[in-house]
Amino acid sequence: MSDRVLTSSEVASASRPELSKQWAWWSASLLLVVLLTVATWWLNKAVPAWSKPLRVIEFPVYAVLLGLLASGVLSVFGIKDRLAAYFRTEFFLKTGLVLLGATINLAEIVAFGAKGLLQAVILITTVFFFTWFVARWLGVEDKLRALLAASVAICGVSAAITAAGAVLAKKEQLVYVTGLVILFALPLMFLQPAAAIWLNLSPDVAGAWIGGNIDTTAAVVGAGMIHSQQALKVATIAKLSQNALIGVVAFLLALYWVVVVERKPGQRPSAWEIWERFPKFVLGFILASIVVTVALSNGWIASSVKRDLGHLREWFFMAAFLSIGFGLSFRGLREAGWRPIGVYALATVFNTAVALGVAKLIFG
Amino acid sequence: MALENAGSKRFSRLFTEDWLSVVVGLVLVGLVLTGILKNIP
Repeated sequence: MSDRVLTSSEVASASRPELSKQWAWWSASLLLVVLLTVATWWLNKAVPAWSKPLRVIEFPVYAVLLGLLASGVLSVFGIKDRLAAYFRTEFFLKTGLVLLGATINLAEIVAFGAKGLLQAVILITTVFFFTWFVARWLGVEDKLRALLAASVAICGVSAAITAAGAVLAKKEQLVYVTGLVILFALPLMFLQPAAAIWLNLSPDVAGAWIGGNIDTTAAVVGAGMIHSQQALKVATIAKLSQNALIGVVAFLLALYWVVVVERKPGQRPSAWEIWERFPKFVLGFILASIVVTVALSNGWIASSVKRDLGHLREWFFMAAFLSIGFGLSFRGLREAGWRPIGVYALATVFNTAVALGVAKLIFG
Repeated sequence: MALENAGSKRFSRLFTEDWLSVVVGLVLVGLVLTGILKNIP
């Protein structure tokens, strides 16, 4: 090997073909992410049109499956690693979370009135801590515990995603909890309105019970529709009241993680350390929420803007779950074991009972 | 050289995916609010 030092122009010309090759792989990776996200969007629209019961299956399922499929096919051809550049789970997830904040109009919490807010606060607090302690009792890992508690207590998939960002959970844990949310929502969508009719509940109480218990918004709408139009209206309001508090839970969870869970033994973290470790998307989430609330309240923007923001958020979440499927490790899923299923089942039974009591008390 | 490293370390810390997602998210919110991005499917 020669000791001669290469000039900068020689270095540039030598690396140019390599660099352009790299650019070609990056472009192909970006194109693949876009195409697969469009395919997820199409499946999410087409499948519910084919089959009504399947409308409870939300986009994470299609996205993870397509990601897994792409990963398998590209692995066979030996080019998976070269095309992995744009499968950026963290970036897509957190950008989607900032957009989620923008779809939450804080003024709605007030508009729904004290009843909706009271029910949301009681249910979120009791169900969150019940799930948290049952999971601890069953020895479920800390981050998975946070995801389970948030998803049962607040609003299923969105809450699981937000909690995953707040505590920096593993992608396998998010997939696991999302799967549980959808799995449990499907029977509840049919059983709960039937039970409400059997118990002879008024449409207001039935709606509050459905909205306070079922975790995914699609299943809440489905269950409300099965019961009555009035139940659907109240169920949607109850669900939105819970969704609106997601930012508060994310903030508290992120703070608890930084200050308590990740604290070194015998040390108190400084304000700077807390700031450094604090997930910044929470700030983006809150800021976006405040901006949209102020703009909507003052009539500066049309309310249709919220629909566009919701759709944009969904595109980012689809890309995030696609990336999760692309890099999914089945060993990580197996490591979680069966206990989270038990926790989720117990928490759902508890949520069903408490939500019925609270709905009767507040809306009866 | 040491200064350059410290500078780039600070730069990379500032532009983590965490911050990048906040910036991109807020820019997208701004584009939708101003009507530049609309009728998103």
